[in-house]
Amino acid sequence: MVNVQTEIDTQTRQRLIERYREIDGRALRRVAETGLSWLRTNQQLVNSLNVFPVPDGDTGTNMVLTMQAAMDETEGVSDRSVSEIARAIAHGALMGARGNSGVILSQLWRGFSRALDGQETMNVKTLATALDEARDTAYKGVVRPVEGTILTVSKDIALAAQEALNDGVESTFIMLERIVEAADESVERTPELLPVLKEAGVVDSGGMGLLFLFEGILRAVYRLPIDQPITTVQPLSALNLDRATEAIEPGQDWEVIVDFRPDSPLNVNEFYTQLDEMGTSIQVGEGEGIFRMHIHVPDDLRFKPIEYIDQLGTVTNVSIENLMEQMAFLTTHQDMQNIPLEPVEPDQIAVVAVAPGIGIARVFASLGVAALVEGGQTMNPSTEEILHSFENLPTDKVIILPNNKNIIMAAKQATELTVKNVAVVPSVSIPQGICAMFALDREGLFENTVKAMVSSLDDIQSAELTIATRSVEIDGVRVNQGQVICLLDGHLATAGDDLVEVLLETLKKADVEQSELITLYYGVDLSAMQANQYADILRERWSQQEVEVIEGGQPHYHLIVSIE
Amino acid sequence: MISPRAIATIACQAALESYGVVGLTCRNLAHGIAHVFTRDPGHGVQVNVIEDLITIDLFVVIEYGTRISSVAASVANTVHYHVEKAIGIPVAAVNVHVQDLRISDTEI
Repeated sequence: MVNVQTEIDTQTRQRLIERYREIDGRALRRVAETGLSWLRTNQQLVNSLNVFPVPDGDTGTNMVLTMQAAMDETEGVSDRSVSEIARAIAHGALMGARGNSGVILSQLWRGFSRALDGQETMNVKTLATALDEARDTAYKGVVRPVEGTILTVSKDIALAAQEALNDGVESTFIMLERIVEAADESVERTPELLPVLKEAGVVDSGGMGLLFLFEGILRAVYRLPIDQPITTVQPLSALNLDRATEAIEPGQDWEVIVDFRPDSPLNVNEFYTQLDEMGTSIQVGEGEGIFRMHIHVPDDLRFKPIEYIDQLGTVTNVSIENLMEQMAFLTTHQDMQNIPLEPVEPDQIAVVAVAPGIGIARVFASLGVAALVEGGQTMNPSTEEILHSFENLPTDKVIILPNNKNIIMAAKQATELTVKNVAVVPSVSIPQGICAMFALDREGLFENTVKAMVSSLDDIQSAELTIATRSVEIDGVRVNQGQVICLLDGHLATAGDDLVEVLLETLKKADVEQSELITLYYGVDLSAMQANQYADILRERWSQQEVEVIEGGQPHYHLIVSIE
Repeated sequence: MISPRAIATIACQAALESYGVVGLTCRNLAHGIAHVFTRDPGHGVQVNVIEDLITIDLFVVIEYGTRISSVAASVANTVHYHVEKAIGIPVAAVNVHVQDLRISDTEI
């Protein structure tokens, strides 16, 4: 995945070999610093390799913060021995370890420093020993080491150093070259060892981070830049091009994505250099000869990347989006708090609904919810937000509709943090939540109402249409990045390239003939006109069923469909 | 209904694969057998199911020399994720009790 260009002449090479025959403490500090710089430069790339949606999942960030703490610790050290510098790094890494990958990194440093104890300088022999010790220490920290992770990469690094030593290598510079090569190959192999990586189409993030640390050192020695996240081409599946509307700065007005097939082998360095002059957030992916380039550019340069790439080969697809406009739209339209809600009387039952979009929020408002919480897929509200939504209501009886599997837990936690009588009706989709609202009797007995709402959840089927953000295989369905996928009651039902076909296929699976009403809630990615066209197609296909269209305003999901 | 025992087994597997955790141990220190490392989930994992709310208590031994707060946070996350993924029911809380540290080298 990573290429270090080794175009240095023999003379320079010889000079570097001599220069790095032995390394003292100051040099160790300097090279560790360059490793950190390169890791920091590529932090987002490492973050994007995360497969588990666990809260401490940002591997790149965790490793950078851990290394930063490690380097900070060396500041006050006046001693020039590798022993003292390594000790300081290990201590700093231990104190600042963040997340799983940070803890492992600190263990690697711990072993590394122990092997160097009492040494003034480090040569190939001590370096190889230190890497051995680093690996051993890291492996000791876990009962069942999982292979295909940073641990495996540390093992392959130690092995490469040992082999270099056996081959008679006498300079740490050459040893480092061998290490980086081995680490690169090791990272590439991680999906073969760990199936979950293979399924997600990524390499291991921690291993990649470790590779960047070593590679940064080598790049600095070669005098290659370490401050631009360039010269990397990711596999297409690893390219994370989720809409980046959170933090758009001036000069990032347009998002341009171009797919192309180069006429001749792409000079990646040159390619990045050219793009660098046009904009920011550059990412390049490659798969089966097709390259995908992503960039944010200012207003006046928005066609520049397309023109440039057009000279390099055949452009197969261009997508250009006005990010500023989208931001403005989102900020003016996403104001759920302004929707008028029916006031709730003391002793009545109040319902709190979690809604992902303004349109859906309006539907809930019209059905009589007492409070709304914004949230949904990828934007789960916190327990606190849910708690706040009902704490000030003038009644003690509250029912929460989470409307998403991932929010049920936060909702349940909210019930424990209040003196009010709160129940969660575990709706996992918007249609379920809406269906439950029809069973609400505000004046009714609390227990009975909860029971009625819970049992109504099964009266409806929910389908959710979205675009796959990466290639995976789930529930036996193979999905490629960029394809339309449809979930039926939470399970992946259909995947395909055409939205209408996927929709029809899913509805067929949902036994739509047995139902009476199909409601389409269209998201921000579709226009009312498009949604109405889809509705017409459904009406033509199933003439016995009513088809309704409602603006949902939800992000990510083009359509949420209820079948009842 | 999934038995607490089954949940404990899943939690135990996840904990033992979590970096920095070198063992699970009997939770009752008073019995004086805290140093008996065990792979029997009944010993180091306590699962409580009260009205659909699942809480898991882990009694772990952590490798000396690691940052304990990070390891504890990470094992809690890992167990939380794997249990929820396996049983499809939300887990309310995972509490990690660090019962002991294991010193596997002699540098101190």
